[in-house]
Amino acid sequence: MTGASKPEALIVAPEVPATMSPTACTISPCCNMRLCAVAAGAAASRRTVVLVTVCIRSVVPWSGVGRPGDGCRRAAGEFREIVSRTAASGAVHDVVATGCRAPAGGENGSMRRVPRVARSAAALALAVGVVSDCAEAQGIDAFVAEARARQGLAASAPADPITWLRRVSLDLTGLPPTPSAARAFAADERDGARERAVDALLASPAYGERWAVWWLDLARYADSQGYEKDGLRPTMWRYRDWVIDALNRDMPFDRFTIEQIAGDLLPDATLEQRLATAFHRQTMTNTEGGTDDEEFRVAAVIDRVDTTMSVWMGATAGCAQCHDHKFDPISQREFYGLYAFFDQTADRDRPDDSPTLAVPTAAQREVAAPLETELADLRARLTVDDATVLAWGEGLRAAVAAFEAANVEQSSWHLLGPIPAADFDTACATEFAVERDGVRLDAEQDGLRWQEKPEFVDGAVHTWRGDNSAFYLHRVIDAAAAAPAVLVLGSDDALEVWWNGAQVFEAKVSRGAAPEQEFVPVALRPGRNDVLLKVTNGGSVGGFCFELRPTQLPREDVGLLALPGGDYGDAEIARLRRAYERFAPEVAPLRRRIAAVAAELAQNAGPAVPVMAELAGDERRTTRLLLRGSFLTPGEAVEPHTPACWPPLPATAPRDRLSFARWLVSPDNPRTARVIANRLWAELFGRGLVETLEDFGSQGEPCSHPELLDWLGAEFVRGGWSIKRLLRTIVLSETYGQSSEQTAELRERDPYDVWHARGPAFRMNGEMLRDQALAVAGLLSATIGGPSVMPPQPDGVWAQIYSGARWVAADGEDRHRRSLYTFWRRLSPHPAMLILDAQTRESCVLRRSRTNTPLQALVLWNDPQFTEAASALADRLLAECGDGGGGDAECMRWLWRRCLLREPTATELERLLALLGQERTAGADERLQWTVLASVVMNLDEFVTKR
Amino acid sequence: MSPPTDMLAHLRRLQRRWFLRDSALGLGGMALAALDRGEGRSRRQIPARARSVIYLHMEGAPPTLDIFDRKPELDRLDGEPCPDSFLQGERFAFIKGHPRLLGHRHGWLRAGNGIEVCELFPHLAQQLGDVTLVRSMFTDQFNHAPAELLLFSGSPRPGRPSMGSWVSYGLGSDNRDLPAFVVMTSGGTLPSAGRSLWSSGFVPTVHQGVELRSTGDPVLYLQDPAGYDRARRERSLRAIVDLDREHHDAFGDPETETRIAQYELAFRMQSSVPEAVDLASEPPEVHALYGTTPGATSLANNCLLARRLVERGVRFVQLFDAGWDIHGTNPTDDLMTQFPKKARELDRALAALLVDLRRRGLLDETLVVWGGEFGRTPMNEKRNGSTLWGRDHHPHCYSMLLAGGGVKCGAVIGATDAIGYRITENPIHVHDLQATMLHLLGVDHEQLTYGFQGRAFRLTDVHGVVRRELLA
Repeated sequence: MTGASKPEALIVAPEVPATMSPTACTISPCCNMRLCAVAAGAAASRRTVVLVTVCIRSVVPWSGVGRPGDGCRRAAGEFREIVSRTAASGAVHDVVATGCRAPAGGENGSMRRVPRVARSAAALALAVGVVSDCAEAQGIDAFVAEARARQGLAASAPADPITWLRRVSLDLTGLPPTPSAARAFAADERDGARERAVDALLASPAYGERWAVWWLDLARYADSQGYEKDGLRPTMWRYRDWVIDALNRDMPFDRFTIEQIAGDLLPDATLEQRLATAFHRQTMTNTEGGTDDEEFRVAAVIDRVDTTMSVWMGATAGCAQCHDHKFDPISQREFYGLYAFFDQTADRDRPDDSPTLAVPTAAQREVAAPLETELADLRARLTVDDATVLAWGEGLRAAVAAFEAANVEQSSWHLLGPIPAADFDTACATEFAVERDGVRLDAEQDGLRWQEKPEFVDGAVHTWRGDNSAFYLHRVIDAAAAAPAVLVLGSDDALEVWWNGAQVFEAKVSRGAAPEQEFVPVALRPGRNDVLLKVTNGGSVGGFCFELRPTQLPREDVGLLALPGGDYGDAEIARLRRAYERFAPEVAPLRRRIAAVAAELAQNAGPAVPVMAELAGDERRTTRLLLRGSFLTPGEAVEPHTPACWPPLPATAPRDRLSFARWLVSPDNPRTARVIANRLWAELFGRGLVETLEDFGSQGEPCSHPELLDWLGAEFVRGGWSIKRLLRTIVLSETYGQSSEQTAELRERDPYDVWHARGPAFRMNGEMLRDQALAVAGLLSATIGGPSVMPPQPDGVWAQIYSGARWVAADGEDRHRRSLYTFWRRLSPHPAMLILDAQTRESCVLRRSRTNTPLQALVLWNDPQFTEAASALADRLLAECGDGGGGDAECMRWLWRRCLLREPTATELERLLALLGQERTAGADERLQWTVLASVVMNLDEFVTKR
Repeated sequence: MSPPTDMLAHLRRLQRRWFLRDSALGLGGMALAALDRGEGRSRRQIPARARSVIYLHMEGAPPTLDIFDRKPELDRLDGEPCPDSFLQGERFAFIKGHPRLLGHRHGWLRAGNGIEVCELFPHLAQQLGDVTLVRSMFTDQFNHAPAELLLFSGSPRPGRPSMGSWVSYGLGSDNRDLPAFVVMTSGGTLPSAGRSLWSSGFVPTVHQGVELRSTGDPVLYLQDPAGYDRARRERSLRAIVDLDREHHDAFGDPETETRIAQYELAFRMQSSVPEAVDLASEPPEVHALYGTTPGATSLANNCLLARRLVERGVRFVQLFDAGWDIHGTNPTDDLMTQFPKKARELDRALAALLVDLRRRGLLDETLVVWGGEFGRTPMNEKRNGSTLWGRDHHPHCYSMLLAGGGVKCGAVIGATDAIGYRITENPIHVHDLQATMLHLLGVDHEQLTYGFQGRAFRLTDVHGVVRRELLA
């Protein structure tokens, strides 16, 4: 390739089409020069891309919905033509046109429709061309350089490789590189060392854990329900693990979106897809006594709308729940149009958080698979032919006939009790007077008298109180003739049964009483029959339930037996078959085996996680606009719809959550891509291109680099919505890789690093800080996922919440898991994390603040987790270099390398040695001396800052 | 805050800052925290009547009908069915069916200035000449957590900054060694809405309430680990500071300087906080006045601590005392056993606080507020057929006390109907209370705002009126 002609190609830019006003059309000189230089230097073997941002002044805003006006698109097309015509030699391989630039002082992808100035399409047109040779990252650098130059600022030198490696490791995995990884990186002089390092970090499972913290803030993930009692949600971790896994597998963000918002509505939704919908079950549940469930269901639905609009659209819809949005064009009716998409789920602020879905873990799935096969096999064996079922039915019919002929009459029940004992077992085992002497209704037995209980009717549960006490029940059953019968019983708790003086049943189970817990076949004899029950209660309420039946069959099925044999239809046979499978004595062993396998399967069904479940047709709610946002004042009915200021749903799409989820990530709606790209940018740089991550509307901060954000959004989509790919692009940019040193001039002119004239530097979040401390101390557990854990927290922090749940500090590995696994109770999250700017996650955390307070110093000094880390680091130091012969200075270097990945300067070394000397003079033993030193290093600004 | 990207926005911001700028007060101690971010700077706009606030919140909502709002008519109708006209369209938390009216179950005292007070509050009765009694407070929430959130953050849902955080954000602290916003609890449980009641919401977390605990470290993580004495902590602090300075020289990050200042403050707090909470240093007559025992967890101890804190320049002291949810379902929440027990705990402590503040000349500049999150019904709740006396939640009216800091002395504001069901005069919403409190602190509640999610949020949401009838 000969580069000479290429620059010329672009210098001809004034050769703009007639539709553009030549006066309005300029090319930024700085970009132009950069363009020339890069094009000139582009190697023939590399792909050269011309990036064009077509900027339209004052006419159409830089449109958040990413539908650059036609004028914009036309201008881009014409520009492309010019470039390709003049650069046809092959040096330039592609021209990428991106959207429009904001008018001065304008909005960030605003929803406001600015009337198009019809004056002429020619009023548009400022085009900036940039060339990138191949690497996408240079696209970023080109945009940043252009904006920075406009501010008269220059880029900083690249950060030194180890600083860069620490920065990128913390950003991508939330952990610092190990000293050996740092050494290997420093030694790698081949091309592409950075790319390889980034790829390795992205492939590490720690990546998913680090970015889950980011997403879980947005998802308002917590292990409790919120509000007064703040009941626990001990299964929610299954959703947290879903997020980690999805991020690690780099699930495309459009799918990530659809599954979390409407996974349950996908055709043939898998368990995992339904689990993903726990995203919107993170809303709070109010179990306070006397609350109206509908009030808090409505609050949850409103929260779902607010969260969705903020997280994906960067829009603040919440204002419109009470009135039309004051600044952005969302009317109250439109708010409830969005609300209507979410108003059709089955959850309604119930204390058990139903509906829930059992989702087994991988380990449970392994156990369950053979059990499922076995169960299917057993069930097949239980299925017999119709003839067998009908023959069994004949036998029942005979029994019923005999029972009816017996003309049974039952007396009232008599009750004796409670007879207390020392404990439950004693109450069960003791043979009280009734058993020793027989029932004496007129006498006092065990100091009590029998009471007649006509209210104890058959088939209902009757209760009483008496801890660790026995209760006896007696009744007489008169029969005219001999007949078979079945005693159908329920008890709370243990039960013994005597029939005509002989014990026929005994079971010691703790449970609540319910009908049909036990079936005891007996033989009625002509004349008087005596039935005696002993029910033993453990604690609180006890009770029993009794029914006399001819057969085990439930009442509603007894009618079946009245049918003459030949008249059974399919439905009747099916019912009889169910009864056969449940009661026929010949299949009892099979039944027991099935019950055992089913129980084992249930144990491996996985934790039941609250999920979204759409109401069936006849249960669907009519969504109404709520006047002033109050559920007590419903107004007109509202159908699900999206606000008019954004592209509509496809005409043919059903008006449901799934269509809405798809709409969020549809090609017509590039706003989502920009909002997410901005969030990722903010995680890395500490500040979004739009600083108000949650508000791209007219009230948000203006975007500092609209073209760049536009381009990042486009890249995100073009890259298949791959978060990993977009992060890779950003962290490999020169912009990201700059040194974060600040000159006085830079501090003065760009204190917040808006123009990226230096690299990012800010204090890590609480999770990273704790994980880093545990990591350098060698304590950090590598286990991924599982139930949330309770590392130590100060005594009494949970004691005062109005519920019995306790914080029991973990021993062993769970003490040192990564911080995202720490149990998150909304009324009282871990205090160290709160002090380090975590929030309670009662609602979506759109942006954590980043403060610098004395309480944070106290945490890093004195929180047991940090002091444990300092001691462990000291122990390690003594073990690894105590006898190395290098003396104190060598130990100090080791400590410095381990924590800060570099050698201390002479001044630093001297200062540390001075402290060590002071500690020795003060009489600290060796371990304490080094623990103090370790704690000092772990409190340094350099240690707590991602630099 | 980012630098302006265009001139218009820049001008707009300058204008806003101009309006909010402090004219009278110097920078508070928290200014060290983030000077360059504009935090900790006083946003006082009007002359302040109060310098500090002590807010005593009776968690669960005390039956103020039985304390400050005597209703002879209710006593006369005791046991009668509640008239239907009161029940139309009403929702109750627990009352079902047709409740009966419940008269007062204790006696009444006449305070020096003629106000009638329940006989269970003899000490407080003597102090009523110094307070304003408001009998016409109301709210629009009747469950504890939402009502407390509305009272302390202006919104019934969590997520907004609490009152103390707004005040800390607006005025900073007058003591460079203590936090501006301190919270203490008594009565055994946290308030229903938990730590959201002192959360900083979306304003920087430096403004969140710092819990002072009565057992263990008074402030979490204050105590150095085993093996550290003050000298050792100081030596390591000096090393950290020196090494951070080196680092600052290399990187020039102003955040490093702030961090150095915060570490030094943390070190000072390790002495200033234990000193501030050391009740044992109080003379016996003070303990006799309050009924305090050093080391105990009690409302009395918290009242005395509150006095020590405002004396040291803490801006906002928030006390929560649990146990006032007088439903009458069992003896731990009824009018005959629990209520007198809570009355005993409160009466002497609150009276002592007022006496003590006055004696020290602090009452003029300290606004003392006492109250619950809503009122209680004139009807007996009788949940599940309970035979004990108790009252259900009632948002329509309740009484509160305000004292010192620029409010009237000995005034009674507002009135309720013959049975204490509805307000008949001068209704005062909790948003009005918030607006008035900020006003007394020298802050216009409509001007103290924080931009978030595209909106300028404020404590009073879009409501609130300064109630001048409360002001001296």
